Amino acid sequence: MTVRITVDGAAYEVEEGRTLLQALDDLGVLMNGVEVPHYCWHPKLSIDGSCRLCQVEVEGVPKLQIACDTRVTDGMVVHTKSERVRKAREGVMELLLVNHPLDCPICDQAGECKLQDYAFEYGVQHSRSREPRRALEKRVELGPTIVLDQERCILCRRCVRFCREVPGTGELVVENRGDRSVIAAFPGAPLDNDYSMNVADICPVGALTTKDFRFKMRVWFLDELPGVCTGCSAGCNIHAGVANNRVYRYVPRRNDAVNETWICDAGRMSYREIGSASRIHHPQVRGADGRLTAAGLGDALAVAAARLRAAIEGGGAEAVAVLASPHATNEDLLALRRFLAALGAPPESAGVAVPTGASDDLLLREEKAANAFGARALGFGGADAVIERVRSGAARVLLALGHDILAPAHLRGDVSALALLDGVILLDTHRSALERIAHVVFPARHALEKLGTLTNAAGRVQRVQPVVEPAFAAWSEGEILLRLGEALALPGFEEPAAWDPHAVSKSLGEELPAFAGIDVDSVGHEGLPLRGESA
Amino acid sequence: MVKAVKPKKAAKSGAISGATRKRIAEEMQKFPQKRGALLEALHLVQEELGCIAPETARELAEIFEMRAVEVMEVVSFYNMFHAAPQGRHHVHVCTNLPCSLRGGRSLLRRLEEHLGIRAGETTPDGRITLGREECLGACAYAPMLRIGDTYHENLGVELAKKLLDSLE
Repeated sequence: MTVRITVDGAAYEVEEGRTLLQALDDLGVLMNGVEVPHYCWHPKLSIDGSCRLCQVEVEGVPKLQIACDTRVTDGMVVHTKSERVRKAREGVMELLLVNHPLDCPICDQAGECKLQDYAFEYGVQHSRSREPRRALEKRVELGPTIVLDQERCILCRRCVRFCREVPGTGELVVENRGDRSVIAAFPGAPLDNDYSMNVADICPVGALTTKDFRFKMRVWFLDELPGVCTGCSAGCNIHAGVANNRVYRYVPRRNDAVNETWICDAGRMSYREIGSASRIHHPQVRGADGRLTAAGLGDALAVAAARLRAAIEGGGAEAVAVLASPHATNEDLLALRRFLAALGAPPESAGVAVPTGASDDLLLREEKAANAFGARALGFGGADAVIERVRSGAARVLLALGHDILAPAHLRGDVSALALLDGVILLDTHRSALERIAHVVFPARHALEKLGTLTNAAGRVQRVQPVVEPAFAAWSEGEILLRLGEALALPGFEEPAAWDPHAVSKSLGEELPAFAGIDVDSVGHEGLPLRGESA
Repeated sequence: MVKAVKPKKAAKSGAISGATRKRIAEEMQKFPQKRGALLEALHLVQEELGCIAPETARELAEIFEMRAVEVMEVVSFYNMFHAAPQGRHHVHVCTNLPCSLRGGRSLLRRLEEHLGIRAGETTPDGRITLGREECLGACAYAPMLRIGDTYHENLGVELAKKLLDSLE
């Protein structure tokens, strides 16, 4: 059932039973054409009605109504720009600012602060209050991740509701009463859950900040670039905050089909992998002295090709064991499929080893790799059969993308079987135990350093794009495979074109029916489900 | 979400007596939801223990199947509940508007000086806790204070000091 409402002269058809703010949010016009400022209301939390800023005029109702808790009715006529509304907002802003410190210059929220924005937009220029502002604690550790500035808090209770309603841990409450009210946790029971850092995102002011990001970078220097978290296979949508070619933080990007407005703490912190000191910085080749030394791409390709050629001449494609990566993009993995086809090996002969970890019913997925689902959708098999071929001696060379083969379920860190091989060729982002025994190592790009698509655990194909450029030479796995195929003179690789993820992405749909019409350009910033998947 | 299951304590070693627990259970019967009886329970427990310390809040939380932090929230909201031990006598001076117009605030200041403590504090000998009070409905007899449940009205500073000195 829908009802018709009119807001500022524009007619809308909205779902019955929704509140005004919900209806405007459903339409996508809230703060995006229809300006109804709000603090306590959040689209994914229960209604509080405490900030009073969203008051609007409803024809036929004598008093102004709060839009967050007023249900739409058929024929409702709403004004959000009238003089009465303007004055009411001004009054609310004045009240909210009575006790707010004027410490924007040292406040980490400055630049993305709703109090700043709305005070500028809807507030008054000067304070009429002469009373001292309330003096409270400026640095309260609410838990291992979050710091509270009690003076800046406007008591919207979003953080309190978040803890009760999303992770269900309910650590936070409002302690005391009236102008003594502060956000607090129980002594000995700090704010400590897998999603705790979301409270800093939803805090409309600078009261809650994450220990990780605070004082690291002024937000107006950050480019907030859309991307996908690579912490697990949930594929939560993010904005990567980038300045000086460095990622400073992830914040969740709203996608109601994936992560709503949230992200887990582990995923949020996974941005550190991009600039990590353990990144592989050069192509490397193991010399006669047994040590890995930096090499040019051409030399590394030549050594890798020689090892592969020797193995193939000895035992055919069977002699090459291949591990696909659950971290690489669909485009990289399509390049691997083509590489295998040129060798005469079916895709299922290559395996995928996926690291696993803690999961829950909210966002955390067991598989800790962004494209585990995608790797399987591209036809790669399990890692066990591949590892068995290595152990049995049938395979003489291992070509490995990603570094998960040493994960507990497979080799439990035991590299003895691998050490007997004639060649271990590794394409990877980070140093690892496998890298220590590899004969040739190629530095790969992190998912957020390249253009491509990742398929999350629900089968949704989502786009990643380069948010930073690596400060060292690194290539997409697909590009390295292209060059390796060329060095081996594989059929179809004789004169390869430059690596073009757009073109490769387009051909995903041609080679795999599930990808029909789905490529890096068509999925947009919110992704599309694979054919046959409901996600 | 996977939650760690906490082992239940074998024996209740808490501070709330069996008699009080029984009375709390009776109060609960009066409400459609258990937690409706929380205020009554807080009164009973404070009567018994003098205050509702964090560990007591934890005990109550178990009884009411709430989070301890929610009990703390209620305790901190109401002036009449205390999270820390109080003096033997609770002296509360009303400083609401009518009382203030009639000298309530200066009365409080003088009593602070007299006792050597600030409002909200307890004398070192544990005899008196001095507090500031919101309206007690005795505006016509301002300034006033209450000691425990007894109102003392139309007070001068000297009279009030004498009253305090007479407390054991």
